[in-house]
Amino acid sequence: MRYLCPNSIRELQEILVKEKGNDYSILAGGTDIMPRYRTGLPLPKIAIDIKHLPGYGSISEENGIIEIGALVTIEDIRKNHIVHKYLPCLSQACKEFAGTQIRNRATIGGNICNASPAGDLLPGLYLYSAKLQLISALGSRKMAIQDFILSPGKTALKPGEILVSIQLKNQFDNSKFYKLGLRQSMAISVINYAMGWTVGEKSISKIGIMAGSVAPTIVSLNNCCKSFLSMENDESIAENIARDIYPIDDIRATAKYRQQVLKNLLLHDLRKLKG
Amino acid sequence: MASKVNTSFFDLKLTVNRKEYNRRIPTHLRLLDLLRDELKLTGAKEVCGEGECGACTIVMDGKTVNSCLILAVEAHQTEITTIEGISPEIELTKLQQAFIDDHSVQCGYCIPGMIISGEQILEDFHQPTRQQIKDGLSGNICRCTGYTKIIDAIENTGKNS
Repeated sequence: MRYLCPNSIRELQEILVKEKGNDYSILAGGTDIMPRYRTGLPLPKIAIDIKHLPGYGSISEENGIIEIGALVTIEDIRKNHIVHKYLPCLSQACKEFAGTQIRNRATIGGNICNASPAGDLLPGLYLYSAKLQLISALGSRKMAIQDFILSPGKTALKPGEILVSIQLKNQFDNSKFYKLGLRQSMAISVINYAMGWTVGEKSISKIGIMAGSVAPTIVSLNNCCKSFLSMENDESIAENIARDIYPIDDIRATAKYRQQVLKNLLLHDLRKLKG
Repeated sequence: MASKVNTSFFDLKLTVNRKEYNRRIPTHLRLLDLLRDELKLTGAKEVCGEGECGACTIVMDGKTVNSCLILAVEAHQTEITTIEGISPEIELTKLQQAFIDDHSVQCGYCIPGMIISGEQILEDFHQPTRQQIKDGLSGNICRCTGYTKIIDAIENTGKNS
């Protein structure tokens, strides 16, 4: 394995042009790459370590738009007061993310590019309409997260392109993240969801729910939200939740269990919102 | 590491337990293997090898990390502390002594990681609550399930400081 460690964007772009089409992996925290090799998959021929690229390791806010560099670690997001204030779902997800040792290495960019259906940051990023900035030697482009993540492990990232930062805006007055794991720490989610809502004069005027681990990518529960806003009864909301999701059986839970538990949790939350 | 394709080498320079090392290493070498096999610091252990159990926990540039999930090349120009270097003097740290006094050690395999995470918890919270200790130890597994006495030792060290 060749190990390359660019110290500037320019150096990185040169490497990406040169290695385009070759078997390379982008390495940031390494917490998803390393266990994979241990299970017998070969190392990439080239590892491009982007950890030391300047400019993508901080969090800033301007007019309610929050920008998070792709190299910011989960632990830094967990402790950040801007995220805590503006993006509570993300704070909460980082709190429940693995353990300290992994949070100290894993990056937000890695969590997005790994494109796991169970990625804990993803529902919150969808809820806060994340826009991703991608760069390559040809320039840069912006893309909404739902267009970027295509299927488990697959993204719209082109050869020679990397994710460098994430822009977020919270359009809801309230939001919460919920994760159901098989134990409290270190667990991969059985299901997770981020929910945002705004209270109008008499009732909820706006609501959005993004659920993870119930489909190949994060799904927006549009039918469920519509049904809730039109004051339909619980049964009909539950039916609409079932229409929004496509869970599968896997090592952590059955599809049937996922469907039932998501219905139970959401109906409980939505009943509380109705008051 | 599972497979070794096209072995390339890297001139690594790093500080471990306040001592500087220069080594020419294969790029696929994990940091844990460098510490144990090359530098003969066998305090950090390999159990799960995938970041679940925390037995390989070390401090890298002031942060606790799993050395099984890091390539040795990534540690270039970093400062590392392992359990062997956790106390700057010959004597034990207060937390290490508390693990003895509170009978926190059973088989002992997880203890180097527990001590390193415990020292970090004490640094973050001075007098941590039991919940803060549990949260801080969430990346460390004790297969003997002797958590109560491990938590006691960290709590008592905080209280007595």
